[in-house]
Amino acid sequence: MFLDKILSHGKKERYVIEDIKRHIELLCTACDTFITSLEKQDRNLMWEVVELEREADSVRREVISHIYEGAFLPYLRPDLCKFVEIVDEVFDLLKETAFYCVENDIPEPLRDESIRVALLNFRMCDMLLISFDAMLKGEDLREKTLAVRIFEKKIDDIKLNLVKEVAQVPIENFWAGKALSDFLTNLTMISDIIEDASDHLQIINVSTR
Amino acid sequence: MKVHEFMTKKIEFIDSNKSVYDAVEQMVDRRIRSVVVRFAGKETDYGVLTSRDIVFRVLAKGINPKKIKVAEIASKPIACIDKEMDFEDAATTMERSNIARLFVCDEGKIVGLISLLDVMAAELVLRARGNHVS
Repeated sequence: MFLDKILSHGKKERYVIEDIKRHIELLCTACDTFITSLEKQDRNLMWEVVELEREADSVRREVISHIYEGAFLPYLRPDLCKFVEIVDEVFDLLKETAFYCVENDIPEPLRDESIRVALLNFRMCDMLLISFDAMLKGEDLREKTLAVRIFEKKIDDIKLNLVKEVAQVPIENFWAGKALSDFLTNLTMISDIIEDASDHLQIINVSTR
Repeated sequence: MKVHEFMTKKIEFIDSNKSVYDAVEQMVDRRIRSVVVRFAGKETDYGVLTSRDIVFRVLAKGINPKKIKVAEIASKPIACIDKEMDFEDAATTMERSNIARLFVCDEGKIVGLISLLDVMAAELVLRARGNHVS
């Protein structure tokens, strides 16, 4: 069992576990806030996503410093740090997409599908949190990682539609086109990174058995 | 889990006065197993033409697909469900009607499609989620 193997050593491990969990919970909140602000076209609320990313950044720093202060057996430390950094990459992408939405309206033909991608991204984060809890209980993560892959595949399908649609959207100038292209790339790449995080969690789970 | 979260929005349409050959071309080209048939003048009047219909009702009988219209073999009416329906209920509807795909409609207009594979994927996600409520 994951807990038996690593938590018996002391409080530092418990702090790290709590912080990693908080980090993923913040990601779920950020994704949820992103959906709400997209749906309501509320640019002020979009700033909340940026604020949440900053908060998550400080949680990440705490996790990493606790780990290198001696939490966990040395062989586990790089994997745990890597996991937190992968989750942090998701925050970075989410922040970039939020910045685009603060400055621009999503073109109408792309709005519905963008919201669907955002919703599926949220579902994936939620599944990542479920996976993390399951790992702490010593459960098998096979079903959870499969669910994450299913969501990712679905987003890939939607991405194809978005690419087709975006070609029909009138673009004012090069920079407007680049910003829109970057927005779609970041929005649809979030799922790839969450999938990486989920796979990494599976690696940690296997390595503690 | 609601069907609109997982439905496919990539739906191919064909006009009812086109030939079955045109439908075959479209389906093979796009690698899809069915097309939605649109009837002229009626915006919310749809039918569906599946690869099964084409093979069993036309090709296997030696009928020339260029000489038969889509409208002649399309199935009507289509099976529609609300986008807020749960996947469990959608699966029950499929089982009762013995159909492999359901159209998701909003005020009579098709907005998506769910297939047996989508139902299976949703089931896997629900199992993975367990009792967790997001």
